Amino acid sequence: MKDFFRNNGVLILIAAILLALVTAVVSALLGGGANPLANLVNIVTTPVRSGISAVAGWAEEKYNDTFELEQMKEQLEQALQRVAELEAKERQYEAALQENERLRDFAGLRPSSLSFDPESATVTERSTSNWNSTLTISKGSSMGIAVDDVVVDQYWNLVGVVAEVGENWATVRTLVDVGTEMGGQIARTGGAAILEGDFALMGEGKLKLTYLPENSELMSGDLITTSGRGGVYPPGLAAGHVEEVRTDPSGMTRYAVLIPETDLAGLQQVFVIKDFEVVE
Amino acid sequence: MTRQDFLIKWGVYALALLPVWFCEVYILNRIPVLGVIPMLLPLAAVCVAVLEGATAGAGFGLFVGMLCDAVYFNADGAMTVVVCLIGVGAGALAQYVLRQNLLGCLLCSLAALAFIDAGRIAARLLTGQAGLPAMLSVAGREILWSMVFVFPVYALFLWVFRRVPKKTVL
Repeated sequence: MKDFFRNNGVLILIAAILLALVTAVVSALLGGGANPLANLVNIVTTPVRSGISAVAGWAEEKYNDTFELEQMKEQLEQALQRVAELEAKERQYEAALQENERLRDFAGLRPSSLSFDPESATVTERSTSNWNSTLTISKGSSMGIAVDDVVVDQYWNLVGVVAEVGENWATVRTLVDVGTEMGGQIARTGGAAILEGDFALMGEGKLKLTYLPENSELMSGDLITTSGRGGVYPPGLAAGHVEEVRTDPSGMTRYAVLIPETDLAGLQQVFVIKDFEVVE
Repeated sequence: MTRQDFLIKWGVYALALLPVWFCEVYILNRIPVLGVIPMLLPLAAVCVAVLEGATAGAGFGLFVGMLCDAVYFNADGAMTVVVCLIGVGAGALAQYVLRQNLLGCLLCSLAALAFIDAGRIAARLLTGQAGLPAMLSVAGREILWSMVFVFPVYALFLWVFRRVPKKTVL
């Protein structure tokens, strides 16, 4: 050990501490913007990430074609049946919408609307740690993406929120990550609650719905959407459906375990909502 | 050893780090085993520290730590200090207590991975983000799966070690 101290080891340790402090301060000052080193590394490795992502996507497609044909046929059958059900429901909704429009007109209210400014991006990397659930996407600040922008899949299911932005890349904190916390709404009853990531559930790809409304009678399969309260995140995005309701270890409160609507493991293409406008 | 030898030696070590980084960040994270993905970059710092000693371990640990900070989400500089300390510790242990061989590397790797995960658990306990049993479960599986990779990573750096000049002069 004496040799170590006689040589330049201490200087290296001091340099490490100083570098760590600089990185921490720069990260804090940038408030979600990537620190210069992370930005540089990610910019340089973007082609590698994109290449690997493309190859993995191709291999997955080939695998599905070869081994999961029967399963896909079954899924197609179910999807066609679901489409037929939804078409029947749509006809009822159409009548309800027209009635709603007439009533709003009668009451002198502006037509309600929700408009988005989406930016498509490719998922180029999965989580690099077991302690967070993240995705890296192929667009960054150069395309107007900012921290706290919401990310959805092609079916408008909630994927997560942008947590760190670089020049041509961004890290998305998925909805099952421990850091997730946003307003949720029970689609069937309209009750408000909080969508929250949980470390124990994160490994299973699930999340929690906490602060359940009093006397809420949640049922397995209930759809939970974003509430949009607070105006930070848009309302009406499908987050997940209820798997079961559990009681907290203290026995005082209940929470629901949600299965995300989006397929986090198979995501290839996402949309970042850069801006949105809600007229109620 | 001339300055040119020194640069070549550490340049080769840096090049040997590329496949380790590539495997961890772009390949193994897509195929979790036991529900976890392995940590390989800190293992690279341990292997070099065991082979080259504490001072060189500190320097290489600093470099690997900076890389970890760049690729791991939310590290914010912590990994620079942690992996540098791991380099010093592993190098000193192998030099003065254990042996500079595979067994020494296995023991130092186990200690290093446990040190990193202990830090992560402590940080999350302080912020109340997660319960201890769930974190211990993840840490245990992560360490177990990562230890499997000590063998190939050690073999890679041993191969480099045998081909580069031996005496390090900083």
